[in-house]
Amino acid sequence: MTENAARREPGTPPIVLLKGIAKYFPGVIANQDVDLEVWAGEIHALLGENGAGKSTLMNILTGIYKPDAGEIIIDGYARAFASPIEAIAAGIGMVHQHFKLVKAFTVAENIHLGWSQTPGRISGEELERRTAALAASLNLAVKPGARVDDLSTGEQQRVEILRVLARQARVLILDEPTAVLTPAEARELFKALREFVSRGNAVIFISHKLDEVLEISDRISVLRGGRKVATENTGDCSQTMLAKLMVGREIVLNNLRERGAHAAPISVKPALSLRRVKARDELGNLALNGVSLDIHAGEILGIAGVAGNGQKELSLVLNGMRAAVEGQILVEGRDFTAAGAFAFAAAGIGHIPEDRLHSGLAPALSVTDNAVIREYDKPPVSRGSWFRPRAATALARMIAEAAAVTVPDFAMPVRNLSGGNQQRLVARREMRIADKVLIAAYPSRGLDVGAINTMMRYFVELRDAGVGVILISEELEELMNLSDRIAVMFHGEIMGVVDTAAADIEAIGLLMGGQRQLAQSPRQTGT
Amino acid sequence: MAIRILYLPSPRPAVALLARALAIILALCCAGLVLAATGAAPLRLAAQVISSTFGSSFGLEDVALLVTPLILTGLAVSVALKIGAWNIGAEGQFYAGAFAATGIGLFIPGPTIVLLPLMFIGGAVAGLLWILIPTLARAYANVSELITTLLLNFVGVLLAYYVSTGPWLDPSGHALGTTARVRHNMPDFWGSVHWGFPIAIGLTFVVAGLLNYTRWGYEVRIAGSNPQAAHYAGMPFRRHLITVMLLSGAIAGIAGMLEIAGTVHRLQGGISNNFGYLGIMVAVLARGSALGVLAGAALMAVILNSGIILQTQGLNTSTVLAITGLILFFTAIGDELAHYRIVRVKAAAA
Repeated sequence: MTENAARREPGTPPIVLLKGIAKYFPGVIANQDVDLEVWAGEIHALLGENGAGKSTLMNILTGIYKPDAGEIIIDGYARAFASPIEAIAAGIGMVHQHFKLVKAFTVAENIHLGWSQTPGRISGEELERRTAALAASLNLAVKPGARVDDLSTGEQQRVEILRVLARQARVLILDEPTAVLTPAEARELFKALREFVSRGNAVIFISHKLDEVLEISDRISVLRGGRKVATENTGDCSQTMLAKLMVGREIVLNNLRERGAHAAPISVKPALSLRRVKARDELGNLALNGVSLDIHAGEILGIAGVAGNGQKELSLVLNGMRAAVEGQILVEGRDFTAAGAFAFAAAGIGHIPEDRLHSGLAPALSVTDNAVIREYDKPPVSRGSWFRPRAATALARMIAEAAAVTVPDFAMPVRNLSGGNQQRLVARREMRIADKVLIAAYPSRGLDVGAINTMMRYFVELRDAGVGVILISEELEELMNLSDRIAVMFHGEIMGVVDTAAADIEAIGLLMGGQRQLAQSPRQTGT
Repeated sequence: MAIRILYLPSPRPAVALLARALAIILALCCAGLVLAATGAAPLRLAAQVISSTFGSSFGLEDVALLVTPLILTGLAVSVALKIGAWNIGAEGQFYAGAFAATGIGLFIPGPTIVLLPLMFIGGAVAGLLWILIPTLARAYANVSELITTLLLNFVGVLLAYYVSTGPWLDPSGHALGTTARVRHNMPDFWGSVHWGFPIAIGLTFVVAGLLNYTRWGYEVRIAGSNPQAAHYAGMPFRRHLITVMLLSGAIAGIAGMLEIAGTVHRLQGGISNNFGYLGIMVAVLARGSALGVLAGAALMAVILNSGIILQTQGLNTSTVLAITGLILFFTAIGDELAHYRIVRVKAAAA
């Protein structure tokens, strides 16, 4: 407790002190033995990979979850929050990654919604006047009369922050605030945060971006696997050191890269190639910026990177669901740039989508209907124009058996299956058509350890059968265990492709943080 | 012990059915209470309704005549829902179909055997054309079909009023505000029930078959249930949206044609009897099942017929509207509540 001593009055307790916090979900340790102290006047960064337990910890601090063990001490007094309302009353407010604003309401209405200070009867003009006064006093520029719908994401975030600060928050928690901002908006935000802490408040800044954490914070706490591994003064930190802390050294290498004698060799010619492909996201922003990649038959290519750096668009472009605005997509040398999703599937490219329930399945339809979505158009499920429900159920039964999913009734809606069972069903369905390539986007997300292992075995099985597998994942451990090569994405570009056998975790961590690879790996093609 | 409420993503069929039955009973009870409060004797009225509806073949024939258009408008709304579109405009398409059938029947000379099929096709095409603009607007500009189909209803109603009181007014002067009688009648099928009745039932089976036993139907079901999944599988969502909405309009148009050729024989304002709007209720009661439309339409027809009987007892028609409204109201509540299950659990650590 010597750092930042200048800012502290002797005898003043930290604003927030967490002691021995633990939180368990079925089969998952989300947090264990976490100690954290946040002092007035500091911006405290909480760094960690996806799933490291950052959000859970903050949800505990803001009263959304109850800790299974440990104490929350605010200003020296132990507190237990039953709801976010109690947390905000104690001065702790959070701005979530996905804004919780009513889009059809004006800024003023959103600020005053669900606030005890809002009078029971008040005119619209008065609301706006009060909002403008608040905004001026807190030095946050917002347009009180504008509908939230019409605001940019940066402006919406300011409204969220204003809403929290208006409720007299002294600790502002921001969950990956810059993920939705342009660089200019991020700079604005940083300025406002500095101003806020200079008045004796504190900010907890959740992020997994090394550069911005180094830029904005005073101290950094790193979480890994639900535990806190370090708290350091930012001045003592470097990107390399943080990457090492974040990713960890104790990755259990359960090497699945070894091939049996029967396994198909890696093909010389690529099965699927991207040539300088550019693609946009739903909002029209360039999300893939000149990506070139080759996937060979019989190999597993891992795609690493912090979520939201273009992986989603990459997976969509790779199976025809998103058109490339520039560049070329080749399947075994044939041009597929203009082909649709149907043509990709017909060419033997399977796809386990990121959001299986909402894009890979029709949740309200039966297990049968969902199981045959890739093969409904050919015998035996269809004869000519006729669809044969019985043959469809037979195929569904076969897929469910291969996936080891017990289905009590094939006519029941697929959403009644557990997440793990849905995922195994989708995986098996896609494996049946993936003669050439399987694209798996975050296949282990939301699954327990057993289901993840099953999934990994599936990929090895495919690889040995001579199929190219693209594994997009945020779990480096998973990628290291499985992939022959790992490509790292950052801001829509491939930072580098490394051979896993010779890979250095730190180097991958740096690539993930946006540093370009200096030495090219031998099999990488294109630039 | 503590009591907890669980939410089930899909209700158990027995519970869902029970909720339906309770909803109808509750609605009837409410209506009965109100009737009792106004001085009527609900039980005696109920007995009267039951005996005059089911006690004679005349009563059943009346119900069958009412059920025919209800099946078709219900099917029209239900089919559009399969692709995720709300066709609120079955009323307008019904008028368009009736208008076209009347025009063909009045002004094209020829034997009935030729003209009836011609009227049938004309009715279907008119219904299809009536929904064409909303369909294209939805498919290419994402304009809510809910609004556009609804607004075209008023155009359809006014068109029927205009021609039946203006250019097509019965020249013989026998009737006010209607066109001349269309001389091509749908032949009778059973008693006074014309062949439209079996045609409506047959069409329902055809549509159910198309949806469940063709590749097209499979694609429509996937695309309607989750457009993103259709995109994922490479199915042409827009093309299916257009064909299904046009089919929906055509079916409602056929309802209008059958009403002219089978039951009313003259185009006049108010000929739809609100069948288009009641079709929405039928479709909601059918819960997305094409065959459920038959049951929903039968229920609605019995209620409508009860209203006619109640009128002979000096009650206002709005009673019937109130009952249908109450049924829909309680059904919506019941359907939602069927998702919940109350369980007792051992009190866990708080």
